[in-house]
Amino acid sequence: MLPVRKARRAVQQLLSWCLALALLALAWQAALVLGRYPAYILPAPLEVLRKGVLLARQGVLLRHVLVTSAEILAGLALGASSAVVAGYLVSQCSWGERILTPFVVASQAVPTVAIAPLIVIWFGFGLLSKVVVCALIVFFPMLVSTMVGLRAVPPELAELMQVLRATRWQMLLKLQLPAALPVILGGLRLSVTLAVVGAIVGEFVGADRGLGFLVNLGKGTFDTALMFVALALLVVMALGLYGAALALERKLLHWRP
Amino acid sequence: MRRKLALPLLLVLALLIAPSCAPTPTPGAPTKVKLAMGYIPNVQFAPVYVALHKGYFAAEGLELELDYGMEADIISLLGTGKLEFAIGSGDQVILARAQGLPVVYVYNWYNRFPVSIVALEKSGIREPKDLIGKRIGIPALHGASYIGLRALFEATGIPESSVQLQAIGYTQVAALTNGLVDAAVCYYMNEPVQLQLAGERITQILVADYVSLPTNGILTSEEVIKAKPEVVQRLCRAFHKGLLDTLARPDEAFAIAKEFVPEIAQNEAAQRAVLDAAVQLWSSEHPGQSDPTVWQQAVEFMARAGLLAQKVDIESMVTNRFVPQE
Repeated sequence: MLPVRKARRAVQQLLSWCLALALLALAWQAALVLGRYPAYILPAPLEVLRKGVLLARQGVLLRHVLVTSAEILAGLALGASSAVVAGYLVSQCSWGERILTPFVVASQAVPTVAIAPLIVIWFGFGLLSKVVVCALIVFFPMLVSTMVGLRAVPPELAELMQVLRATRWQMLLKLQLPAALPVILGGLRLSVTLAVVGAIVGEFVGADRGLGFLVNLGKGTFDTALMFVALALLVVMALGLYGAALALERKLLHWRP
Repeated sequence: MRRKLALPLLLVLALLIAPSCAPTPTPGAPTKVKLAMGYIPNVQFAPVYVALHKGYFAAEGLELELDYGMEADIISLLGTGKLEFAIGSGDQVILARAQGLPVVYVYNWYNRFPVSIVALEKSGIREPKDLIGKRIGIPALHGASYIGLRALFEATGIPESSVQLQAIGYTQVAALTNGLVDAAVCYYMNEPVQLQLAGERITQILVADYVSLPTNGILTSEEVIKAKPEVVQRLCRAFHKGLLDTLARPDEAFAIAKEFVPEIAQNEAAQRAVLDAAVQLWSSEHPGQSDPTVWQQAVEFMARAGLLAQKVDIESMVTNRFVPQE
């Protein structure tokens, strides 16, 4: 695509987002006027914006955003990388999948929010416990997508590689990984949004910083505008991460039609 | 076509007529009210269970439904008119009023503020000044625990910066016994009791020994007071009887609480200890009465601590007019 056309498309995309945001603010304000809701039920968009600007000026928002971002990125890195490795190892031996699958599925039946207090006690009240909660939430979708992706390798190509006496390493790099990548990256897109949830669950259990803490603080002090600011930032973070995963997918899968 | 339209039209008509056909409360029928309590079903709510069991609410013409939840949530529901009555802490009422929630404190249940700082005896923490330089675990940096701790610091001249505060959620027992913190902020009748029953030797600093703060009681909204003052009066009267009975006969109250919360039987000794500790905090020379001076001091302290979004008026948030006369 030509650079000019690409830039025009980006501007159009940005404008459509701004328009959607403006419409949302209008609908919000209309609901406020029609419903006559007090600020503790539904604060006005301008009030939320004012609160956000005030907190940003004080440096409060950046501090909390950095903490939650660190938790999400570290949790995502830990959960996704360990799930990809585990998914590869399991897919290489049929008995491995048979043995492991019931345990992995059973682990998903336990709500992370219920075991989060235990994780906090085991790993301390600092960053590590939030990273572990995040990694646990991310692990399952990444594991499943890795296993499914590796299973999707065309058997005739695998046979061809074997006939050509490819080593295990060559099989992985030249065939299995490229073939599984679309599914693995699909899992990553799902995982980035779940990672945000994981960090918040960890912060809800016990934290003195982070956006989850801000949401809790807003709720505990009946400051609904503060809750909205923190929630809006979480949405922005999730969208940013999703966009980054999408960009990574486009870059790595540029060969796809 | 006409036939096709007939059914939807009939349905719309039925929906329009339905409200006028709704059963109207018959005279003498009990008034349904919901009371939400800021915790899980627990022996600490024994006075409510006693009043229900002995029919005090029914005698007042009330059909009481109990509900449980997080304190901040139920106070918000009260403020939004989705709930009529709740059990909540006085300091939370002040915070809620500062955010514009029209909640009103109508019956003072606890005589003493239940927040305490617990430590293992070997830590050497015995009085507030021993907390300086220590790691203190607290459920969250808001709520009654945080306000209680800040009030204690102010009353004893301890700067908050001289301690290491750590938000630990509700993991106080594990955090203390595993040495993750040196002391933990908790409720006098909960974690300290659990620790003692687990064989730990503990020390406690009860916030109420150093500063008076408005504590747990019955809350309602301005709207309910305006629309149904007699219901507020009746609810307070029934609860009052339940409280007096519990204070006079804790054994009986414990047996009744077991009927309402069967899980108590799983750990009877601990639950009994919880009730006994709670009874100490409930005992009062004037049950139900709120002290305006305590509220005034609490408001002034919270304003100084920067916890209030705007000025609050005490007269609009607390009243003794529904407390039964002795």
